[in-house]
Amino acid sequence: MTAVQIVFLAVAALTLAAAVMVVSLRRMMQSALALILALVGVAVIFALLGSGFFAVSQVVVYIGAIAILIIFAVMLTQNSMSPEHSQMNPGFLYAALGSALLFSSLVFILSMWVGFYAIPVNLDPSVDTITVLGLSLTDPQGFALPFEIVSVLLLAALIGGIYIARDHHRD
Amino acid sequence: MGISSGNITPILSILPEILLLILALVVLGLDLGLKKFSPALIGWVTVVGLIFSAIGGVMISGHQSGGLYIWGGMLRQDAAASVFQVIFITGAALTAFFALEDSKCVSAEFYFLLLISTLGMCLLAASSDLIMIYLSLELASIPLYILAGFHYRETSSVEAGLKYMLYGAVASTIMVFGFTFLYGFSGTTQLYAINAAIQTGQIPPMVTTMAVMLILAGVGYKISAVPFHFWAPDVYEGAPTVVAGFISTASKAAGFAVLLRLALTILPVLSPYSPYLLAAMAVASMLVGNLLAINQKNFKRLLAYSSIAQAGYILVGVAASNNLGAAGVTYYLMAYLVTNLTAFALAQVIGQANSNDDISSLAGLTQRSPVLAFSLLVSLLSLGGIPPFAGFVGKLLVFSAGVQAGMAWLVIVAVLNSVLSLYYYLKVLKIAFLDHPRETPLIKIETNSWRIAFIVCLAGILILGVIILPWYGWSITAASSLALY
Amino acid sequence: MIPLSWILAFSLALFFIGLFGAIARKNAISILMGIELMLNAVNINLLAFWRYLYSAHMNGLVFIAVVFAVAAAETAVGLALIISAYRNRRTITAGDFDSLKG
Repeated sequence: MTAVQIVFLAVAALTLAAAVMVVSLRRMMQSALALILALVGVAVIFALLGSGFFAVSQVVVYIGAIAILIIFAVMLTQNSMSPEHSQMNPGFLYAALGSALLFSSLVFILSMWVGFYAIPVNLDPSVDTITVLGLSLTDPQGFALPFEIVSVLLLAALIGGIYIARDHHRD
Repeated sequence: MGISSGNITPILSILPEILLLILALVVLGLDLGLKKFSPALIGWVTVVGLIFSAIGGVMISGHQSGGLYIWGGMLRQDAAASVFQVIFITGAALTAFFALEDSKCVSAEFYFLLLISTLGMCLLAASSDLIMIYLSLELASIPLYILAGFHYRETSSVEAGLKYMLYGAVASTIMVFGFTFLYGFSGTTQLYAINAAIQTGQIPPMVTTMAVMLILAGVGYKISAVPFHFWAPDVYEGAPTVVAGFISTASKAAGFAVLLRLALTILPVLSPYSPYLLAAMAVASMLVGNLLAINQKNFKRLLAYSSIAQAGYILVGVAASNNLGAAGVTYYLMAYLVTNLTAFALAQVIGQANSNDDISSLAGLTQRSPVLAFSLLVSLLSLGGIPPFAGFVGKLLVFSAGVQAGMAWLVIVAVLNSVLSLYYYLKVLKIAFLDHPRETPLIKIETNSWRIAFIVCLAGILILGVIILPWYGWSITAASSLALY
Repeated sequence: MIPLSWILAFSLALFFIGLFGAIARKNAISILMGIELMLNAVNINLLAFWRYLYSAHMNGLVFIAVVFAVAAAETAVGLALIISAYRNRRTITAGDFDSLKG
């Protein structure tokens, strides 16, 4: 077992433990903090997979924006929570059982596929992936259309979010 | 660099989408500049712009019969995409007119979000790439989450938006998880290239079936098919009625547009079981929808369960996965658009007059407004599949496609279910026509725009039910353009 | 190097933990957090497939970028709706949203 493998196993275990905390802790603020831990773990996995760019994006977008937004929402709605009560729906044991079953059957099914045992090829060091990605995002014969549509999506989310969350009573 | 130096065709080929985007921005601009003028102006501008955008779409489709990949294979320009785009734009225009009757919906943000959602649907119908399908599905859905919660002072509306959003996000994430496996198996995100890669890749069918099931979860949510239907009754009941009408018609048609493309391209290659999965969803949707509709007391909830059952009938055509099936689905969706929009428009004005949506308050509708009672008759009979209304032709086409595909058992189940559905449609009609009114607040319709849209819908039900051939020819062209490789 | 199977098993585990959270939790913000975990699993899958099998093309990376953007849009809209619902009802427990039953 190489050092990279050991690091991966440690980070993966930590991330999954944090994810379990996200879905099981009673106090919302604690679960939001566990979410940040899980997101950091995923960023490390990205880095281990050789994509420093997405590791940084993960930190900026997920932790810097999404997780912080969630923490704000938790604080804004704080007095509606009562940590004494269970945060789970009544049938949550069945959901846990179902998820575990689906997980193991999917792993089993995937193990039938040869690609499951693929070994990575070394990336061509002469190719700067980020440059190629950036060029393909602006190439009309590449991914220019989704790139432009993403901007429309973000604009719509922005306007809709502001409209619905604005305090209309103060108008 | 960029688009300007290249060929102009890629721009022209997404002309309807570009017009929609410009229109959406114009609507926002109007709100800044012309707020003091009549708020209805925004609605009229929206409708006029939508008509132009539909004309643009039809014009392009005129000289593009075969499938043409544009924007690096992100979109496939074919007749199916154009026909569906016209369906969505018509639905949006009618909804824009109906919304003018609901004073709480007359705002620039409403029309902006409606237009962006329509833009997403138009892109979805043409998408031939997994990235584009996911992105345009979200572009169509995210504005709808907000529109469902648009009556921000009404708890039920906001809760409807929240429920729609939470479960919608879960379903679309499950779908995109399935997409990642398709990418993993084939190395491409291009629908028509995935086929070739899967066929040569010798991937066990179990593995690809798993991906198919994940994808069906996301699409099933969009078309409200069982077992992904649970959101529909709550959202239809809580959301503003115009929005519920839009969700149940245009948004459902968008789900079917992408499902049809998937069913005629990658699903048969991915999994030999996919027709049976679709047939199982069809049977479950019909049974659950019809059985639960029988005891509903709220008109909008009844329409929700009826819409789940309708998704089941349409799925018969998708499960058949043949040319006639695809044409039948297209025809059915056109018929369903006008029929269900009529029903929701009625629910809107009657609900506003009674300030509740109970079926019992429809009592004596004939005395309160004979025209509306007659329209209710037309739309419910069309939903039930009675000739000479549009719904009949749609049902006829999808059911014969099922027989043609050798799924006679499925068609028998579907026919029995249509008979069952007549029971609750007729029950509503009995209340409206025979019962005495308990309360008689006047049903006022204040805007001409509502009347125009309503007349268009009613005319649509009759025209699609009587003059069949031109629309059928359209649907067949659309269907055969999908199957071309 | 890390075998692909390990990474896929990890992303599947993360996905189903998130799905469990989205189904089993009462609270709307918790459901949203479950969805974030699921979307992260999606991204790990995409990056792993790209790195191990198809690093010659850019589709995988573009897909990841799109998922990032969609996640941000979904969260923003979701939290806006949650705040709006809280303003109306002073609760965000999905189970308390019972005005739509029956």
